[in-house]
Amino acid sequence: MTELLVNGGRHEVHGSVLTTLAEVLRGHLGLTGTKVACGEGHCGACTVLLDGAPALACITLLEAVGEREVTTIEGLRDHPLVDAFVRADAVQCGFCTPGQIVSAAALVRETPAPTREQVRHAMAGNLCRCGTYPKIEEAISTWQG
Amino acid sequence: MSARTLSRPASLEALDETAVPLAGGTDLVPLVRDGLVEAETLVDVRSLLPRGVEPGGIGIGAGTTLADLERSGEVPDALREACRLAASPQLRAMGTIGGNLLQATRCWYWRLAFPCYLHGGDRCHAREGEHREHAIFAVEPCASAHPSDPAAALLALGAVVETTRRRLPLAELYRLPTEDDRRLTTLAGGELILRLRLEEPDASVYLKAMDRQRWSFPLVGVAAARYGEETRLALAGVAPIPWALGSPADLDAATPLPGTAYKVDIARALVGRALAAVR
Repeated sequence: MTELLVNGGRHEVHGSVLTTLAEVLRGHLGLTGTKVACGEGHCGACTVLLDGAPALACITLLEAVGEREVTTIEGLRDHPLVDAFVRADAVQCGFCTPGQIVSAAALVRETPAPTREQVRHAMAGNLCRCGTYPKIEEAISTWQG
Repeated sequence: MSARTLSRPASLEALDETAVPLAGGTDLVPLVRDGLVEAETLVDVRSLLPRGVEPGGIGIGAGTTLADLERSGEVPDALREACRLAASPQLRAMGTIGGNLLQATRCWYWRLAFPCYLHGGDRCHAREGEHREHAIFAVEPCASAHPSDPAAALLALGAVVETTRRRLPLAELYRLPTEDDRRLTTLAGGELILRLRLEEPDASVYLKAMDRQRWSFPLVGVAAARYGEETRLALAGVAPIPWALGSPADLDAATPLPGTAYKVDIARALVGRALAAVR
């Protein structure tokens, strides 16, 4: 039994040694906003925050999370970035979008008005195979309305 | 998949020889899940490793993340740039500098568990196969390329590694594989990197050529660090281990494979730019 702090709530979850945080979020807690695409830490679809820092849930072991607080896309439901992504039409197929918004949330928390270069640097770990990058940049640069 | 237990010890003293230490896990977790690393016991050392940069950039805890180093005003430019240009933001926030030095090659044959020389077999599949991202030095008996950007920077910066058992120059952390021992590091079972110490240079730089402008392993990375009149050079992505270059002319002694000859030209250009930058 492992205790996990997710989006402000405590959960008791089971897993084996190699169970990943992504598997637990999706399979046990029903938080399916966290996506798994590559499953090996390349694409960023599974990005969550651990104590505010972006992390890849598909290569984070459940048992290694420890006391760190997990924030998933569901925990960012009311973040203005969500509306900004809609306004900028920064979504095509949408599969990478949760991870994009989580990474963007980590960026704007530290740097509320990032330059284009800062956006590109901070978002480099979130791949979008539909190629909506210009719209994603627009969303992040206009998130404050 | 192969790992039976994950333990969280109270101290680093009691690591036994079969323990596989886990910190950021960015390389180790996929390798264990893919069965490329056998780990009877994973030992979570993340919260036990020293983390942070001592004033002056002289001492760096092994648990310091690449993101910490990327943002640190205390470390030499070459190391900060190497960290900034490495991996992705998520991986830099997770991965530690100690683990980064020990990451496995990106050679696709090795990662796909071909029975290659590095896995204990009798040939290097990359030599006759696909090898455009592989080595230009020490290409026999294994043509893999070492993927760490920070390792090249730290090699040029004369880093000394402190482990749970000894102190050694970073160059001695690495070894080329031999017939009777295919490992690429000299770290013993249960031995853990605790800290790095380096000499503050007068100037340093890290330059990197990659397939994309971001989030890509180095085709060639070049670190240069100047101490007075002496400039030390070290390269990433060109040999199975981080590669110190005695002088720019040493690039003439490269022995590239047909598909990696272009890397010699890139290395020559980046070495020239790096030397100009630290002059």
